[in-house]
Amino acid sequence: MTDFLSNNSLYIVMIIVLITWTGIFTFLMGLDKRLKKLQKELKEQENE
Amino acid sequence: MKKDLIWKAAIYLIMSMVIVAGIAFPIVEKPSAWYEFPLIMGLGENAKIIFFHVPSSWLTVIAYLMAMVYGVKYLRKKNLEDDMKSYAAIQLGSIFCILATVTGSVWAKFAWGSFWHWDPRETSIFALLLIYGALFALRSAIENDEKRATLSAVYSIIAFITVPFFIFIMPRIMTGLHPGSADDSNAGPVVNFKMNANMQVVFYVSLAVFTMLYFWMWKLGSSALILNEKVKKLKYRS
Repeated sequence: MTDFLSNNSLYIVMIIVLITWTGIFTFLMGLDKRLKKLQKELKEQENE
Repeated sequence: MKKDLIWKAAIYLIMSMVIVAGIAFPIVEKPSAWYEFPLIMGLGENAKIIFFHVPSSWLTVIAYLMAMVYGVKYLRKKNLEDDMKSYAAIQLGSIFCILATVTGSVWAKFAWGSFWHWDPRETSIFALLLIYGALFALRSAIENDEKRATLSAVYSIIAFITVPFFIFIMPRIMTGLHPGSADDSNAGPVVNFKMNANMQVVFYVSLAVFTMLYFWMWKLGSSALILNEKVKKLKYRS
């Protein structure tokens, strides 16, 4: 695996793009969770 | 609303172009076609991570700078919304700081031989992560909103003083492995002298589009935090 990557270093660039994308996606997941919680709380207040 | 859509479409299209250019455009010894990048001694094909790794650390600086700016704003006007904006910037800054560290470390495995070397650049970004990591601990330890906002604002101002030193100065005046170190004779300063014109264009476009993406993410993150505060206030009232 290491040999393959050092001979084809283009794939390292691909891995790095994937890592960056994963970071942005993680941020989105966190935001999604926060908004869902907010929606639930608002709904509960409307029902009270 | 329509203007908004244009921005988002622009971010999507330009980012896609940067990704395509970053992966598909070849690095050759003597670039002649418009899409060819020059070979930089000691870096090779994986030099193209510069289009993704450098913008991450660039965004770290922007985000921490914005955290400081909104920290100052909070201290002057005592508006809790400014604190939320500052906190959203700190969150994003730390995400991009981690991304810069991880991508750099993957690259280091193939350029230098192992994932971690305690190179000046690695040491300084690690110190930066610790400094801003402590801010999360500080924030979660205080219950009172105003007190938390004040302390966090002061901390983000003091912490930002270290950022230019850790990112721009220290790794450049010390000898090390990272391109751009004091004794670097092959690669650095990469941005100014070793890139040809089309590589520079892709690089600066990449910086610009990542900055646009950051502002979008920051706007979303801070509005979610501000909404959260508003919902909390409603809850206490009822």
